[in-house]
Amino acid sequence: MTAFRGAGIIGGTASGPALVTRMPVNFTASFTQATNQVPGWRSRIRDRHHELFRKDVRGTILVYPATIGSTYTGMVLLELMYRGCAPAGIVVGHADSLMVSGSVLADVWFGRGIPVVEYGGSDLLDALRDGMLATVNGTIGEITVP
Amino acid sequence: MKLDDRQRDVINGGAGAAMAKAMKTLVGYGEAFGAARMVPVKSCHLAGTFGFVSYGAYYAVLEMMTAAGLRVVVPTTLNPRPGAALSLMNRYAFLKQKRLEEMLESIGATPNYSCVCYDGANVPGPGDRLAWAESSAVQYANSVLGARTNRNSVLIDICSAITGCTPEFGYLLDERRRGQVLVRLAVKEMDASALGYLIGQRVVNRVPVIEHYGFTAIQLKNMGGAMAAAGGVALFHVLGLTPEAPDMKTVFGGTEPAETLTITQEDLDGLRSRDLARPDLVVFGCPQMTYDEAVMLGHHFAGKKVTVPTWFCMVPAALRRLREDVLYGMLVDAGVAIHDVCPVAALSSQMGRKKILTSSGKLFYYLAGAAYGSEHDCLKASGVVA
Repeated sequence: MTAFRGAGIIGGTASGPALVTRMPVNFTASFTQATNQVPGWRSRIRDRHHELFRKDVRGTILVYPATIGSTYTGMVLLELMYRGCAPAGIVVGHADSLMVSGSVLADVWFGRGIPVVEYGGSDLLDALRDGMLATVNGTIGEITVP
Repeated sequence: MKLDDRQRDVINGGAGAAMAKAMKTLVGYGEAFGAARMVPVKSCHLAGTFGFVSYGAYYAVLEMMTAAGLRVVVPTTLNPRPGAALSLMNRYAFLKQKRLEEMLESIGATPNYSCVCYDGANVPGPGDRLAWAESSAVQYANSVLGARTNRNSVLIDICSAITGCTPEFGYLLDERRRGQVLVRLAVKEMDASALGYLIGQRVVNRVPVIEHYGFTAIQLKNMGGAMAAAGGVALFHVLGLTPEAPDMKTVFGGTEPAETLTITQEDLDGLRSRDLARPDLVVFGCPQMTYDEAVMLGHHFAGKKVTVPTWFCMVPAALRRLREDVLYGMLVDAGVAIHDVCPVAALSSQMGRKKILTSSGKLFYYLAGAAYGSEHDCLKASGVVA
């Protein structure tokens, strides 16, 4: 087990298979395409500019560097959490106002927020591969990987 | 976070359960970023104006707020409509449109329905603290008007509008407004929208400082919109042009740029599609076109006929003004379809592979499969210039 200590942004703990990218994510472009309405595709990334195109974020620990794009982001993530098809937890290189809002909104209005940890080091990306079981603890800001 | 007596009373339910949740949302939002206090805002701009059929949580929150009779306490404007009536597909995709508009207007928002709210409807001054959503409007308010707002999400915007406050962090503070990356230009033919796209891609969420160039207000709008779609930029500076960049020393706070990058003519040209022949649709106006922009672009169409369908997407108030102008008839005669909706939303419900060409870096990013062309490329594709 290796532990990485970052900053806890939103509290709580979660585990899941890692889904890792070095590209910034545009959540609005990813989850508001017409094809997201295909049954079962709501949580599939449909942003053609992105290397995670077609990947499903549901239940994963999503690890990415930064959020880009529209202010719909918080509403898009809130909806995924509300419907139980969001990532289980998020590790972001730089926590931003939009992604964090999604978890705060889901927590306050529906009791369904997810933990968020900010971790900027590239050693985590070197240690993690897609599908490896990762655990995030947003309360103390820790990520553990096998 | 330190709260005053009134804020504490609201959290404890003194203004009802929905209002307590709105304040708790803002506190949770602020505490995630270490905000020390709430500050009053001068205005809000709400981005959540698309009545997507497939979204539930957003409407559920709005229903709770309207049922509690909550109202905005600061001037609050609204983003564009999605064009629900434009096609059968859109009618279904935006089935919640009517109810959404009823709710937004019942809480007291101004029905301007434009992402370019700063074109008359909601004009902040330098130093004004705001709680705006809409990435392109946030960008313009911060960068060009010198106001101060974070990139607020849909719903966070409404929580601020009904409480009149926002947590103080990020772009409200001097530290976060300083330049970080210097952008040099090696450009012969300016394409501000492409430039914004490339800067957004490369600086991601930092604050770029572009070397002096005499951008027009229209170029600043289109460049900012692209920068906030291909990147997460909330604030940019242009040396000697925008209000917080009188000189290098001021804009970088006396420190050296963390990085310097150069955008070349080849970079700009590289974004232009090589397949410009006969698209199915050419779209101008994302962010929506102002009156001046429609006039500037419109004169190319006078006395001509478009050879492929061409859209102008305009600020609704600007379109009302244009209708009284002789140019309006000329555009209609030329075959231009003039809309006052959001092209990102209006065109996103199409499943097929329509070939859409646009001079908007923002629309290009969001519309799956769209192609980018310079303004001249797009006019040429419309068949009105050689």
